[in-house]
Amino acid sequence: MLTYSLKRLAQLFVTVLGVVTLVFFTMRMIPGDPISAMAGDNLSGAALDQMRGQMGLNDPLLIQYLKYLGHLAVLDFGNTVTTKLPIVGLILGALPVTVSIALGTILLTVLISIPLGTLAAYMAHKGHRMLDNIITGVAMVLDLMPSFWTSLVCLLIFSLTLGWFPASGTVSIDDPGQLLRRVALPVLVLSMAQVATLARITRTSVLEVLSEDYVRTARSMGWSELRVLFRHALKNAALPIVTVIGLSFGNLLNGTVIVEFIFTLPGIGNLLVGGMNSRDYQMVQTLIVFYAMIFVLINFTTDLIYRVFDPRVQF
Amino acid sequence: MAHLSIPLPARRSIHFDVSGFNGLIRLLTNRRVQLALLILGPILFLTIFRPYLPLPGPLETNLRAMTKPPSFEHLFGTDRMGRDLLSRTLAGVQISMFVGFAVALLSLTVGLVMGTLAGFFGGVIDRVMMTITDIFLAFPSLLLAIGLVSVMGTGMLPVVLAISLSDVPRFIRLQRSLVLTLRSRAYIDAARTVKASQLWLMSRHIVPNTIAPLLVAASIAAANAILVEAGLSFLGLGIMPPAPSLGNLIRDGQTYLEQAWWISTLPGTVILLIAISLHFLSDGIRQVLDPRSRK
Repeated sequence: MLTYSLKRLAQLFVTVLGVVTLVFFTMRMIPGDPISAMAGDNLSGAALDQMRGQMGLNDPLLIQYLKYLGHLAVLDFGNTVTTKLPIVGLILGALPVTVSIALGTILLTVLISIPLGTLAAYMAHKGHRMLDNIITGVAMVLDLMPSFWTSLVCLLIFSLTLGWFPASGTVSIDDPGQLLRRVALPVLVLSMAQVATLARITRTSVLEVLSEDYVRTARSMGWSELRVLFRHALKNAALPIVTVIGLSFGNLLNGTVIVEFIFTLPGIGNLLVGGMNSRDYQMVQTLIVFYAMIFVLINFTTDLIYRVFDPRVQF
Repeated sequence: MAHLSIPLPARRSIHFDVSGFNGLIRLLTNRRVQLALLILGPILFLTIFRPYLPLPGPLETNLRAMTKPPSFEHLFGTDRMGRDLLSRTLAGVQISMFVGFAVALLSLTVGLVMGTLAGFFGGVIDRVMMTITDIFLAFPSLLLAIGLVSVMGTGMLPVVLAISLSDVPRFIRLQRSLVLTLRSRAYIDAARTVKASQLWLMSRHIVPNTIAPLLVAASIAAANAILVEAGLSFLGLGIMPPAPSLGNLIRDGQTYLEQAWWISTLPGTVILLIAISLHFLSDGIRQVLDPRSRK
């Protein structure tokens, strides 16, 4: 187990280093540098040169790269090019919003899709194809709805027509009630997309388990159907479900960017889009690396959880 | 948004030949393929023949018909500059289709070549290739596309390249795994005993047997690419106005959601229909290819 974890950790390190390197050099391929983009035509050549010197942009590329790695190692992401604010501060300020959207989505998704998937599997097992087909069909349509479109439709129905949720307004963690109201719709939208995948996996893995001997044994012992379904079948089908929750995190991160943009929520997704629009490459670069690191770490953790909890997995 | 899930190859499906007339008949009699064509057919027909239909051009403004709801005159209504939204939507579908097709073709081709080399030769090539794909797969797909677009700029070509670059690693992985299972088959050994060259083995015995699962993956990749392009354009990072893309049509309508619901919702419905039909298509192809699912 330990050797395996260390091996995976080394692999993780190589991947993260690769990500950082790739992002650094790709960003340096942009024609023109951030200084001239920022200054426009207002500054003379000498002034530009001085600014470049201050930011270390006159150093050889390799030195710049090593310096960048050094700063990253101590979690110093530098300042934004446009506003000169430390990026770490901006990210930390925006993180609570994104995290509450992500956690809310995972919670809602699990609450909806696991019972739904289990029900579909049970119905399929009993030969009632009808309900199974309906659940699977609805799940597919939900899966394919582009989240920006779903967001607008939900905004139109729940905010503008029914007035249940505010469409705009300030958000801060100091006011949990307001945060909840503002985050409710984005969470609903993202869950709709996630429910499909999770319900499908739940259905498949529960269906597989339902024909196992120990389920028959449990039935023959006279346990109620509900108990057999949730205590015996679902518990044994849980591992692939947990894995899929972990793996669908990439989609979730994609989704948060879109919903934060539409619902004007000040999360890290909005920082990214804002950075793109103001051509703040330092910001974009940092955020892309940040997203990739979160994604890689979650995949790593999922993999370890899988191996810790499944005694059948060999090392 | 849907994510690209490459189907694992069914173990026995690989040796199944769908080329030729028989394959076509089986494909056309498949219920899912029929359903897909039923939705996709009319959309494609209207898109292709848009210039000949009695519709105003997609960029033609009409100041006497601004922000009109759907009517017989303008089936999808008009936007705030009086442009006909059906015409704009169809022009957007044309772009979407092009992006979907280009991305599928590009990532399939690159994935096919690199995946075959990695799987067939193994060793250092394989390890290097897998490390590189690992790095690319570390980015959530839309975010990778955003990053690449920030480097390459907006427009059609950067969008196609950005989406392809996030799909290529998945195709390499798929092709590699297909080649690995085929490489150890008895018929490959048999071919080796009669001194078949490496090139012959690859091009005649291995690659043809991987085409079918790759096509299934490609049709999903196309659907995915259409959704990602729409997402990028929606964020203002893809195809730029005034060129109508389904994504920037939806973005356009966002500001007027309360006054003019049709500007955003109708093009969105069209995207959804296209994505659903492409998924039905890939499902159908898979069913036809997989002998186990045939009744």
